[in-house]
Amino acid sequence: MTGLDTLMRYADRAVEHAGDRVNCVIARCTQGTEWQIRFSQNNVDISKVWERLGIEVFVALEGGRTGFGERSVTSEEDVVAAVDSVVAFTERMPQSVFYAGVEQRATRYEASTEDYDNRIEEFGERAPELVNACIDAAIESGATRVAGALKFSRRLSCLRTGHGVEGRAMSTAYDLNVRAFQEQLDWSGQGLACGTVPSAAEEEMLAAGHRAGELAKKAVGAVQGKPGVYDLIMSPTVAANVLGYIPASANPIMVLIGVSPLGDKIGEQIAPEWVSAADDPTVPGGLMRRTFDFEGTPAQRVDIVKDGVLKQFIHNTSTAAMYEVESTGSSEPTALGGQIKMLLPAPSNIVFNNGDTSVEELFYVDRPTIYVTSNWYTRWQDYREGTFSTIPRDAMFLIEGDRWTPIKNLRISDNSLRMFRNIDAMADDRTQVYWWEVDVPTFISTVRVTDCRFTAATQ
Amino acid sequence: MEHGKELAESCMQYALELGADYADARFVTTTIEGHVYRNGAPVSGGRTPSAGIGMRVLVEGSMGFASIDRLDRGLARSAVETAVKMARTTRRREPVDMGGPVSNRASWSMDVRDSLRGVDIDTIAGLAGEMNRQMEGLPSYTLILSPVVCDKYLVTSEGTEVTGHTEQLQTYVLLTGHGKAGSEQRFMDLTTAGGWERVKDTGLVERVADEVQRFKRVLEVAVAPKELVQQPVDMVVGPEVAGIIAHENVGHPSEGDRIMGREGAQAGESFWRDLKIGEARVGSQQVTVCEDPTIPNTGGFYLYDDEGVRARRRFLIKEGVANEPLLNREFGARFGTGSNGAARAAGFDREPIIRMSNTFFAAGDHTFEELFEGISLGVYMRSFSEWNIDDRRYQSKYTGCEAYLIRDGALTDTLVKRPILESTSVGLLSAVDAVSKDEVLDFAATCGKGDPMQPVPVYAGGGHVRIRGIRLGGVG
Repeated sequence: MTGLDTLMRYADRAVEHAGDRVNCVIARCTQGTEWQIRFSQNNVDISKVWERLGIEVFVALEGGRTGFGERSVTSEEDVVAAVDSVVAFTERMPQSVFYAGVEQRATRYEASTEDYDNRIEEFGERAPELVNACIDAAIESGATRVAGALKFSRRLSCLRTGHGVEGRAMSTAYDLNVRAFQEQLDWSGQGLACGTVPSAAEEEMLAAGHRAGELAKKAVGAVQGKPGVYDLIMSPTVAANVLGYIPASANPIMVLIGVSPLGDKIGEQIAPEWVSAADDPTVPGGLMRRTFDFEGTPAQRVDIVKDGVLKQFIHNTSTAAMYEVESTGSSEPTALGGQIKMLLPAPSNIVFNNGDTSVEELFYVDRPTIYVTSNWYTRWQDYREGTFSTIPRDAMFLIEGDRWTPIKNLRISDNSLRMFRNIDAMADDRTQVYWWEVDVPTFISTVRVTDCRFTAATQ
Repeated sequence: MEHGKELAESCMQYALELGADYADARFVTTTIEGHVYRNGAPVSGGRTPSAGIGMRVLVEGSMGFASIDRLDRGLARSAVETAVKMARTTRRREPVDMGGPVSNRASWSMDVRDSLRGVDIDTIAGLAGEMNRQMEGLPSYTLILSPVVCDKYLVTSEGTEVTGHTEQLQTYVLLTGHGKAGSEQRFMDLTTAGGWERVKDTGLVERVADEVQRFKRVLEVAVAPKELVQQPVDMVVGPEVAGIIAHENVGHPSEGDRIMGREGAQAGESFWRDLKIGEARVGSQQVTVCEDPTIPNTGGFYLYDDEGVRARRRFLIKEGVANEPLLNREFGARFGTGSNGAARAAGFDREPIIRMSNTFFAAGDHTFEELFEGISLGVYMRSFSEWNIDDRRYQSKYTGCEAYLIRDGALTDTLVKRPILESTSVGLLSAVDAVSKDEVLDFAATCGKGDPMQPVPVYAGGGHVRIRGIRLGGVG
């Protein structure tokens, strides 16, 4: 395993080699190992391992020309080649109208071992057994078929900038997705677990297996749901996707390219006054926890929605200059579509306030209410309007008083801004969600929203 | 390239020495360049070269996969050891069977006259300038141009050695506009497959100009006639919409790994699981949907798949009957038919899984004009915006972007705002009663599947398709 010292040596070499050919250079060298065990039909399908060691280089040249490149490295010669390639590319680029500099303060950051799992190798040895235990847990709880994936990783990285920033970071992470089925295709349930210390999360992983099995059992007999307007209770999994998108899109670059509904809404009440949401790279256990961003600006909690009011966006140095505010330490190489990354603001962990209602109380409803436990395939008609639809999958229930009826085959076709305004209650079961449909780790609880539109196939 | 090939071969050999019953290694080099513009102004750009090896080992019926992102012999040996160890400790309850051995030696390449490798930044900036000019006047437009060149080499313990070469100019446009009819957004993937010559051959700039003019008209004059939702109506869908239907409602459910449940926790399973393939009717007699990676200059082009199996055309639905699933070697063995060459990996760091390539409605016998005859009230949906489908691939929704009113047997120039086609796969395909003679395969898309996600380029299309007696999910 490559150590932090080697990574820093590579990053140093990159900055040194860029020299005075550039106005600005940022180099981040990262080494990582990831493991995954995928399973379906109660069997492990494949076990995987990925080894990565690469450097990311951002440069800005005279005249506001910017460029970014990344490649794997095995030696300082590779580092030199990476820098030369990015500089040569950037020399031919036109001026970027968006670039307004990077962090100028020379700060040194030491690696934090908080949230780092020193026992991840041991965990890896036990992981196949644990996967089988999760499968068994789901079956014990009522499923007949179980599928899923357990992924865990270790990552070390070092950052060096031409302005004197020096930063080290180390992290571990895991995420587990268990999906349990009956023989029928559409009687199913899901359980998720994610966090930063896999060796301390075995109980949580087994609980995810149990939850998937229990939901699959409760989904037995699901009948066609009836389209219409209902109150909606979203599990944290669904809420993270549908409601989490709002704070995750408090990003100037998303506003500029037209994929955020928040462009002209700063200062507006967009949710009830008891709802708050932040971008928080400092939250313990957050999968995107960090102490500094790619420019070397200190990471900080950014209150995006405070007491229901949209307060601010996340920023890097360039967008902060555009908005005449300070950077929020949110700079990260990010792909805008396609595969090439640029230096842009990017969310870290979205953190909603926890609710003060028990989950049980949330389900005491006096109007027909639909409880959705998972969803996927969210697509937008118009990002700026917030018009979208998404498909509930796995267990879904129509709640009428004390009666719960499993239902299926409905689609949520609504508006995310309107739903955000119509949040009616939040439970006290806040948890972190990260999976296929939620790529920004989001801490959120079970949420009830009034008057949501459900549609279904017409034939 | 030679060092990478030699290292891939040694990985494969070393896996056998460690006791693997089967091993393969893919050495893949990719160069991606990207240029991003917003409202005509450059945002930034970058270049990302990569070279790595992905290897699979089968040990006592269990599969292991490892990938390395640098050509380091020590790391490669260590990765092989890890893959073999992980596979061995898995002890899969039902062993993976790859079917009969495959030993193909071949070299294939996409047709390329003017390689994207040699295209300089000024030339790309010139094209971007031309394309951006077509979009001027809209409040917001984003353009991404990204040349991608990929070479790959596959070696297996059964004697397969295959090299392949592809080039694509990934081209993405996001339009945002406001007009008297409200506001709209349209995302277009205009990726061309081949060298720089495809920019001219496909009329890329003219295509953007045409789409922008159409989009602007939608913004100004689209209306929402309520009569369209008060009764069942007929529809004609253009090649773009036919393409997304072929991809989502036919291609995905035909994937053998979904049918057998391997994607259960990710992309989902398939309603084809409960069908008797070869006998079950899932559409009308007029519906034949094909899958074909061998069509030159398409996003899904290849001649040998990432398991070394020779590619061929597959008839997923033949005259309305579920005919043939997409299969790789593992699922070819499980279906008892062998692979039909559908294994693709998005990069060296991904395992090959069952994927689509180019999916389309086979041509029918109607002219475009004949499709409208006999329709008293209906909608012609030329393009779509929002869409989704459930994970069994049974209930889909397509919302029209550019759509026209059909009345009294003729296509009118009245634009219909956001008509919604929300139906089941079988309900939709069973309502098809005609397909046009023309076959258009130029709807480019990036298909996502797997975990970790594997985005792969595909094309989709077909002729114009007529659908009878549909109750719309809404307009406006």
